[in-house]
Amino acid sequence: MLQGTLIYGFINSVILMLVALGFSVTFGISGVANFAYGALYVMAGYLTWLGLHSLGLPFWLAAPGAVAITAGVAAMIYWFILLRVRGLVVSEVIATFGVGLAILELFRYLGFIGFEYTLPPLIDASVMIGDTYVDAQRLCIVGAGIVLAAFLWFFTHYTKTGLAFRGIAQDERTSLTLGINADKVAAWSVAFGAGYAALAALVILPLGTIAVNEGYNVLVNALAVCIVGGLGSTVGIIVASFLIGFAQILTATYLETSWMMIVSLVAILAILVIKPSGLFGHQKQLEERI
Amino acid sequence: MRKLTCILAITMLMAGLLLAPTGALAADKVVLGVTTSLNFLEGKEANNSVKMAVEEINKAGGVKVGGKMLPFAIESIDIRDAAPGVPVPEALLGIEKLILEKKPNALVVGPFRSEALLAAMDMLSKHKVPLLGTIAMSPKTEAMVAKNPKYKYVFRVSLDAKYFVGYIAGVMGFMNKEFGFKKVFIMNQDVAWARATAGIMTKIFKGKLKWDVVGHETFPTGASDFAPALMKAKMKGAQVIMPVFDMPQSGILIKQWKAMRIPAVMAGFISPITGPTAWKTFDGKIGGVVNSVFELGSIPSAKYPPSKKFYDAYLAKYGKPIEAGHGPAPAYASVYLLKAAIEKAGSLDPDAIVAALRATDAEGVMGRIKFTKGNQVIYGKDPTKEALGCFFQWTDDGKRVIVYPPAIAEGKIMLPKGMKSAK
Repeated sequence: MLQGTLIYGFINSVILMLVALGFSVTFGISGVANFAYGALYVMAGYLTWLGLHSLGLPFWLAAPGAVAITAGVAAMIYWFILLRVRGLVVSEVIATFGVGLAILELFRYLGFIGFEYTLPPLIDASVMIGDTYVDAQRLCIVGAGIVLAAFLWFFTHYTKTGLAFRGIAQDERTSLTLGINADKVAAWSVAFGAGYAALAALVILPLGTIAVNEGYNVLVNALAVCIVGGLGSTVGIIVASFLIGFAQILTATYLETSWMMIVSLVAILAILVIKPSGLFGHQKQLEERI
Repeated sequence: MRKLTCILAITMLMAGLLLAPTGALAADKVVLGVTTSLNFLEGKEANNSVKMAVEEINKAGGVKVGGKMLPFAIESIDIRDAAPGVPVPEALLGIEKLILEKKPNALVVGPFRSEALLAAMDMLSKHKVPLLGTIAMSPKTEAMVAKNPKYKYVFRVSLDAKYFVGYIAGVMGFMNKEFGFKKVFIMNQDVAWARATAGIMTKIFKGKLKWDVVGHETFPTGASDFAPALMKAKMKGAQVIMPVFDMPQSGILIKQWKAMRIPAVMAGFISPITGPTAWKTFDGKIGGVVNSVFELGSIPSAKYPPSKKFYDAYLAKYGKPIEAGHGPAPAYASVYLLKAAIEKAGSLDPDAIVAALRATDAEGVMGRIKFTKGNQVIYGKDPTKEALGCFFQWTDDGKRVIVYPPAIAEGKIMLPKGMKSAK
């Protein structure tokens, strides 16, 4: 039982990390809290499904296509909507949340409401670890989590665009003086975050079905991890994912499954009381600001 | 004086017209309101079934109202109550909007959530609009109608949690007798009907059936990880897992059950694996699961031809089979019940329609339809005598075989691969 709990706790943590990485990257660089994030995640799932079933494309073509379209849509959201309200935090939140709502409800309106919307697993098998059976797709999720986290580190340390991302994240004005186009980089970061959401969707959604409401759940989970870890901190995201992920599975195993849902909310409340900027947040503490 | 008499006469005529009940006006159609979550599978297919019945009836000349043939017209509104987070008052606003604006003679299908249906009962009494509900499952509506005559406008044409429990008890009794199983783990969604079902079943398991309930977990709507609960079920030696879910994510439970190779029969209700395309959706990983269909007709039975006729007609009309295990068949039946009641009443007066509906005794696509004192359709085990729900089992080659009740059973429950009888 303990072994199973640890295995599933680890997998659950990686799922949370995957879900939150893109949201955190976007916020860390552009300062935009992209509340359309969950909708973009679901959109990637539906687009892949459409590619596979309506266009008859092979998975290796449908999946990258869906990732590219999702990232493109996110870039357009920035260029046509967010650019006009940039810096007005409340307006940014309202605008992104509104766009996300519109995307999700559009899918509902178009009839994406049945149970047939599922994605194929990358590997269709079960593996026994100790005395616990785990489906191979979950192991793929762990692999994808490691690869995407490593790629993010590599990208932000060794590529020009990635370095520009970090420049804007650290000091936008100074970056401007060095010739970095802040708006362009911010648009890239929103698209990059959405691409990460799409990649997460491609490996996580085969575990179940694609449903419109999943968009709201993903947003809540991403927010919880980012708030606890500290908005914009990649290390914070990884640590918070594991804290919340294990806490959720332990709660479900040793208390009641229904309590699992409140773990994220309790974690948010606790962190807001103890350290409002999050575990690895860069924002100043309340007392420092005063 | 003549002028005054003239004014008085016109005033009285206008007042008479305004005060007359809607049904007494010279109507040119009978308006049916479909107030439900239209963008959820059960609502969508129930709405399709209503359209199909209306088309058939209109094609045959319509409804005879006091010597005049009138067509049915459908007015629908999406009240979104099935979506998580949509508050009950929002659903009620949708229902009232349709009642006030479209002046329906009756409503069909109705709310998804029992919470919304129960809250709407007073409004339906106030506006005197009969509702033939086919989705919400709480048995509380029946008790309320039986107790207070003001709620007489609310009918339920589909299965409720009470009758559902009867069917589950029958299936569990069979498994106990056939395989010697007596350890069950209950998993249910955190909504009124599922809670009620799980609650009553727990009592029955512990009492009458003498089963050992080794665990009981409740999942909020939208939950998507069942692994911890499945591990508990395995650890506690459950031989049967009884799921009660109607959310899309519940299909994940079956995938996880299969992937984790939990040695227990899955028998209950999981909405996503009800329809024929579920086999393809879940990559053929649902073999062995015993699942319920709440109304015959939403699954065809060769042993009850009206159910097959309806199922085939739906497939022919829409080019897709019925996927929902709850809603379509009774929605179709409701339109015919209303037609019969209106013709019997000879008017569109709501009280007369209600009185006629209460006296219903008709053969429908889901079996014989008669109502209790609480306006609930009576369910049983023989479709020629009562309405019928059933359980089927997914075979390892992707077929749905009806296994309960015996009157329409096509085969016996088989143990999934790798499971052994306890006998």
